[in-house]
Amino acid sequence: MLEAEKHGPATMVFVGTANDVSPGLEGLFPDSADTVVRQVMSTSDKPALIEEVTLLIGEFDEDHALLGQKAALMLDEMLENAFYAAPRTPEGKPRYDQRLPRTIGKDEQVLLRYRYDGIRLFLEVRDSWGSLTQGQVFSYLAVNTQEKEPDPERTGRGLFFMWWMFDHFYVRIYPGQETAIGGSLLLQKARSDSKL
Amino acid sequence: MDKPFSFVFHKGPLHEIVHLAGVIDAQAEAHFEELQKKINGNAVVFDFSQVGRINSMGIALILRCLKRLASERKITVQLQGLNQMNAMLFKMSGVFLLAKEVR
Repeated sequence: MLEAEKHGPATMVFVGTANDVSPGLEGLFPDSADTVVRQVMSTSDKPALIEEVTLLIGEFDEDHALLGQKAALMLDEMLENAFYAAPRTPEGKPRYDQRLPRTIGKDEQVLLRYRYDGIRLFLEVRDSWGSLTQGQVFSYLAVNTQEKEPDPERTGRGLFFMWWMFDHFYVRIYPGQETAIGGSLLLQKARSDSKL
Repeated sequence: MDKPFSFVFHKGPLHEIVHLAGVIDAQAEAHFEELQKKINGNAVVFDFSQVGRINSMGIALILRCLKRLASERKITVQLQGLNQMNAMLFKMSGVFLLAKEVR
């Protein structure tokens, strides 16, 4: 039986920073035979990848359609984060203009993993920058939760959307090596009143 | 596959209406600058019924546009045709504080 749509942020596992172990996320999104892995080379790959995942979910009814819409947004935000927010100059400024298409450099990697079992969709995107910090994650979530003023220039809105939409959400950072952001979305009953 | 952002502007007897379509993300920025210039009346309706996904950059563009129209130019802005997902995002990011939804 489907659960009623949740009203609030995800259960969050913040794995934090790790310098003493090699990158990997065993336990959070373990590999299985039906996990799909895609190397993402360019922002122009994004529409096809989003379509690939949403077609897997299908639009059998309103509940599946809503799951597909959430999946599309989460993938969009995760890939934008990997392609534009993660690459930073030594001064901490973004390297690339988000309005322009982008292909990754030869030393760079963006990896998408997903799995759908008919009820739950797991999504994860890893980048090879490891530039996000624990402080930024909590700061972005706090400011977007607390501030009611609709400020167009507020940072971290994408991460806030992920935290809110995912049912389970995790961030794992290996400074200078890798950031992995992932989570799961559950097929839920869509609400008819279009409200949170 | 995603449709790129586009808009159509109509001038009605009571208010102006902007029919938005496609994905609203960073690529829509120039279009949003253009559509604001077309609005001259005291009231405008933004119709989202043909809009697909709106990501966080798209929300920023919408907030910037609404702030200019509603707060700076004192134009009454109303929103219609929102799907459940986009209504959820608008509520989370304070869009409804700048423009009310009409059904």
